[in-house]
Amino acid sequence: MFVLPRYILAALDSIWETGVAIDLKAVEQLATDQSSLKAAAGLAKPAKWSGVGASPDGALIWGECAGSGANPYRVMADLRDLGNKCTCPSRKFPCKHVLGLLWLNAEAIVPFTAADTPAWVSDWLGRRRGVSAVKPAGNMAPSAEKDLRAARASEPQMAEDPKDAARREARAARRTEETERVILDALDALEQWIGDQLRMGLSGFIDDATARCRRIAARLVDGKAAVLAGRIDELPARLLALPAGDRPRGAVVELGKLVLLARAFRASPRDAAIRRAVAASETRDTMLADAQALRIDALWEVLAEQTQTRRDGLVSQTTWLLNLAAVGPRFAMLLDFFPASAGRRGSVFNPGERFHGELVFYPSRQPLRAVLVRRNAMEETVIPEWPEPDQTLADALTRPLLAEPWTIDIPLLLSQGRIARDDAGQTWWRSADGLATLPVASEVDGVLCGTDLTRTAAIWSGNRLTILAAQTPWGRVGSRD
Amino acid sequence: MTEAIYEAIGAVLTRWTMGSAGAPAAPVWRAELGDDPAEAELRLLALSGQFLGVAVTTEPASALHVMPDIPTLSLPTVPEALRPLTRQILAAQKESQAKSELVRFLAARGWTTHPADWMPAAGDDDAPDLYAAWRDWAEIASSNGTVRRQTSDRLTADNFADFWPAARKAALAELRRHDPSAARTVLQEKLAGENADARLRLLSVLSDRLSDDDVAFLEGIAANDRAPKVKALAVSLLARLGRGDAVGENVAELAGFFSVRTKGMLRRSRVIEAVPLKTPAQWRRREALFDDVDLASFATALGVTPNELIAAWDWKVDQAADMALISMIASTATDAQVSQAAEAISERDATGLIAALAPRLAPDERARHAVTGLNMHGIGFELVQRIAGAAARLDDPLSAPAGKELLAALQTEDAKPSDQVRDLFALGLITSREGARGSLQRLTGAGLLQGDPRLNMLRLNAALDDRGVRS
Repeated sequence: MFVLPRYILAALDSIWETGVAIDLKAVEQLATDQSSLKAAAGLAKPAKWSGVGASPDGALIWGECAGSGANPYRVMADLRDLGNKCTCPSRKFPCKHVLGLLWLNAEAIVPFTAADTPAWVSDWLGRRRGVSAVKPAGNMAPSAEKDLRAARASEPQMAEDPKDAARREARAARRTEETERVILDALDALEQWIGDQLRMGLSGFIDDATARCRRIAARLVDGKAAVLAGRIDELPARLLALPAGDRPRGAVVELGKLVLLARAFRASPRDAAIRRAVAASETRDTMLADAQALRIDALWEVLAEQTQTRRDGLVSQTTWLLNLAAVGPRFAMLLDFFPASAGRRGSVFNPGERFHGELVFYPSRQPLRAVLVRRNAMEETVIPEWPEPDQTLADALTRPLLAEPWTIDIPLLLSQGRIARDDAGQTWWRSADGLATLPVASEVDGVLCGTDLTRTAAIWSGNRLTILAAQTPWGRVGSRD
Repeated sequence: MTEAIYEAIGAVLTRWTMGSAGAPAAPVWRAELGDDPAEAELRLLALSGQFLGVAVTTEPASALHVMPDIPTLSLPTVPEALRPLTRQILAAQKESQAKSELVRFLAARGWTTHPADWMPAAGDDDAPDLYAAWRDWAEIASSNGTVRRQTSDRLTADNFADFWPAARKAALAELRRHDPSAARTVLQEKLAGENADARLRLLSVLSDRLSDDDVAFLEGIAANDRAPKVKALAVSLLARLGRGDAVGENVAELAGFFSVRTKGMLRRSRVIEAVPLKTPAQWRRREALFDDVDLASFATALGVTPNELIAAWDWKVDQAADMALISMIASTATDAQVSQAAEAISERDATGLIAALAPRLAPDERARHAVTGLNMHGIGFELVQRIAGAAARLDDPLSAPAGKELLAALQTEDAKPSDQVRDLFALGLITSREGARGSLQRLTGAGLLQGDPRLNMLRLNAALDDRGVRS
């Protein structure tokens, strides 16, 4: 949170008196440096924003800004003292998104429609420190000279020399080949390591999984297989989540998937989905520029948000979406990472909320991971029910593994069922006809286990079910409700 | 083929667990595994992992049991549009007491929470009786127990066992309200079979419509029950009927801490004054004696009637003695004496003490004292809320001195967004729907943002249709 020092507050008094919320000079003063101001100018465009609104008294403004991740950032500001908050991981206060929002407001680039204050803005207000808690003005003083005119100026487009372009492409090709070679070496080391675990016995591996996985993960990071390293770092946690008797089976499945992924990379090192599972993901800009990528414009329901602090110091933020339209992948997953040191990050969506929006899916045999391109205001008055499951349970469980055997999380839409318990207290989901039972990963309590589950959205992972949300006679119930 | 793989997988897993090569145990895949032993192990691992992931799912080892449906309560759940606001208020309350206040407010306005937003725990005695069926459901869930016959019949000794504990107590309270002697008869037959905590809970139901008809039963409990806390409750209920213990050493010792004197030249009246205490030990002793003595016995020891004691008490001189006497009245005085004490302390501008008597006052008495305290004696909203209870519907509390103080505090230069949270929450609980709307206008007019989370309780009150029964 950032609160404006008193010397700027005094300057704003006259602005308040004229009834204008804020002018661009205040944005300039608020920016920590010229680069922030420049970036804010780039964000002060309607296409970058959705859900822009203001409180009826005009004191609060908010909006959602498309950043570099899959999820948008939630940005909010209190125009009375220019206190502000953004869910992005930037260490600059205020960040470029806040400055962009203020810029939008100052120049009335988009209409700030008066609306009820969203819960996420209210939550922030409740946690704000008062003006009395402002840091000394000296600490908050602008660190560098800034110039609005320079920030607005667009960079001249320099025509590239064809020879330079050819050289650049040749360099990129060499880098790609070099990276592939390094990754293949790392995968050799991985297979050697897997063989060692078998020779030394899975019993010992399960007992010492954290340390052993850390060592090979470090080797994979050196070998430019960062995504695979992160996966292996989290392997022990997935194993330990299983009942002790099921861990040898779990270890075989986990290590087997690694072998399959390593072999798949050797066979098709340029395959986008495989490369994404081993080395790195495409950037948001790459995805948006990919004309071949699957784009789905549909009505989406936010099923749940999962936040996990990983051993590599990153926090993963996964938003699961259900496609309520008849076409396109049934689920979408918006995945972002940010450093744990950046502190707690606010939720991007509220479970249960629905929105019209366009998603672009990362190329895959089983399209699932996506980035949000555009989010529109919800207009429908008729709210569609969750769809019927569009495949049998057996198919839903196995098809993703046949297409991409290294897959860990499989989203499922289950038909009518109910939560049940066995004599040992283990929780199960059981279909209404009693023919299918799936073990549930964690304890389920409250309303979910005291009513019929008309539809259930869940993640199948490690032969266990994690319920995200369900439709019930009591309405929609999330797993955290 | 699949059967052969199933057979092989078990042996392969055992070998790998121990550190032996798995390939010799999987002849079914000999061709796929090849001749290189190291390569064969990796191939076997890939095949086995995929097979186990795709073809093998865990089956329950025993029969499965499902929980019964969460019962529908007698009042509707909060409208869907107001559930997010209700959830925000619940999430902001760190203490269960504050959550309980919200739940009671909703019940008084004719609503219940949605079970996904809040459900009482099995042992949540603070939850209104309205939620008894959910408490029992929670007990079934936690005990994994079998479900007893659900019944909506009138409680009798014969069907006593058909009720789960919370529903049983709620049914007993209902029976007591309509047929006090029938409720007592049920207790006479069934109380002894319950554990001490349950006996205490069930016996407390007799405090409603307590009468001389209950004396014999209570005397039996006071003399024979195994649990001291149950005995103490019976003794307290008997005291409320004027059947306190005879004057004993403790009563005489307590009376010794006070003096009765006459004052006034023309209109002679008696005053009961505390004798000044000199040591902490004396303070402790007097406090302990108050806990052991009932009002009637104390009055007798002082040579006055209980009514005379209340009238002659010298309030607001010794606050510890005032509080101890109020506690004694709350637990051992008759309903009429409790009302008399409330009037007396209200007249003497000691309204805060009424909060301790409030649970024993009728709803209209509580509301009257709350309004008097708010407008005449300048007490704050939190105290008003404790006195008035969940049924309060004050029309314009913000115009009272406490409201003016609140507005002034919110407008000070160093006001922080975390200030006055409890006061604003209490204001949202005690005001009527119209009052809540008016308060919101005045507070936002005074500079609070419409989205300020401190206004959430007022917003909920203003938006919620008041379907409650008014006393």
